[in-house]
Amino acid sequence: MIRDVAFGFVYTKKDSPVHGLDARIKLVLSAYLIALSLMAGDPFGLLLSAAWIASVVLLGRVGRRMGKNLIYATLFSVVIFAVDLLSGYGLVDAAIYAARFEVIVASASTFFLITSPDEFEYVMRWLRLPRDLIFSFVASVRFVPVLMLDAIQITDSQKSRGLELEKGNPVKRLRSFIPILIPLVIDAVMRSNSLAEAMEVRAYGATDRPTSLYELEMTRSDWIALTLSTIAFSVSIIFIL
Amino acid sequence: MIEFEGVRYVYPNGVEALKGVSLRIGEGELVALVGPNGAGKTTLIKHMNGLLKPTEGRVRVFGIDTRKASVAELSRRVGIVFQNSDRQLFSETVEEEIRFGLENFGFSKEEASERVEEMLERFGLEPYRNTSPFSLSGGEKKRLCIALVLAWDPDVLVLDEPTVGQDWANKEKIRGLIESLLKEGKSVVVSSHDLEFVWSLKPRVLVMSDGRVVMDGRAEEVLSRDGIEEFRLLRPRLLELYMRLKKKPRRPFFEVRELEEWVKVEVGG
Repeated sequence: MIRDVAFGFVYTKKDSPVHGLDARIKLVLSAYLIALSLMAGDPFGLLLSAAWIASVVLLGRVGRRMGKNLIYATLFSVVIFAVDLLSGYGLVDAAIYAARFEVIVASASTFFLITSPDEFEYVMRWLRLPRDLIFSFVASVRFVPVLMLDAIQITDSQKSRGLELEKGNPVKRLRSFIPILIPLVIDAVMRSNSLAEAMEVRAYGATDRPTSLYELEMTRSDWIALTLSTIAFSVSIIFIL
Repeated sequence: MIEFEGVRYVYPNGVEALKGVSLRIGEGELVALVGPNGAGKTTLIKHMNGLLKPTEGRVRVFGIDTRKASVAELSRRVGIVFQNSDRQLFSETVEEEIRFGLENFGFSKEEASERVEEMLERFGLEPYRNTSPFSLSGGEKKRLCIALVLAWDPDVLVLDEPTVGQDWANKEKIRGLIESLLKEGKSVVVSSHDLEFVWSLKPRVLVMSDGRVVMDGRAEEVLSRDGIEEFRLLRPRLLELYMRLKKKPRRPFFEVRELEEWVKVEVGG
């Protein structure tokens, strides 16, 4: 389950019209998607947002990854629906809130599925955010798959020592994660320490204005995508409001 | 004892790590797994206690099909010591770290205490009994990781890259330990890139490459074959020297001491 949900937010390189866009356009596109899903308060608005997301997902060919993620999001939507009903909301309102949650998850997932950590970095640099903040963010995103691999190796080691994660009552099961979590955290701290030292010996922080090998550059298709999406977003907002 | 029959293993991402491996490891045997990175050594090892189950074929450990047994059941007979010590330790003290496996396998309090004492003494960890495992040196951590597996007395000990990050003295201690385990009748499997270390053990050598066992035989026979460089293996220096000698002794030198003795006899003095 965790793996399916995680994969719904992990970028994979693809040769699609959406993946090839400038990182800034992807950011704008994603901002439009998230804004629409937050503003949509009735079935029509939600359908419009869903149609928007579906078109980006289809163009980017990331439907399969997002699909699994949405199956799990649906479980939470059902809970939201039930809680709203019990709290006294009407059937339609409860359904709208549940569907809104689904659309918000889908729009956030779209953003992560089409934007690589490198592109985050370029955009943040372009936005002139502090370098330490950019580096911390990008490093933490890149660490996620590494930590997942570490967790698998630690789990293998502890299972080889007779640890059984699937046995016992819920409390016992939770406790059996301690032998996995402690080495994982210690390993992560040690790894980040080594990374910090490696960055320092490579002169990280020696200058306030480091140069960059990559520069963002808008192409014709980026301008077309920006214009079309801005028009579509504006029209959608008029309809929703 | 451990039998692989046409084992094929494909990881969820589609990588085929084992491509039809068949082999048998007998009682009291010492087997060294060598080969380049990505050859499938660790994947093979993980099949020995059921951490991985074959996609095709069958692995039997003491007659038990690994697909029909839990990792815990199989680990009781086949103990694996993984390469990275830090990824195995979590307890507050060395003593508790050794006790963890014994509790999982259901040893009584008295027996567990006895075994902990035995391991602390055998591995020279007595002074660190109440110390945090994380404050030990690299060599001590490695010794602890071996001790915590040997504590439940498995019939087979599997060591994954035991010499990585170890100095000469620690390597000698590991070598001594392997020799004493063999004398006790246990089987030992060592996966290693350190061919000098492997050579000193005089084992049966399995060369793995691209998911297959491409060579299998005594160390002196396998490592003296032409073309082992193809599998990124560098012949041990004592064997290389032996092979270059015009007038050779009956068998190769496994230790410098044997070379010294031969020189004394041949050259004199």
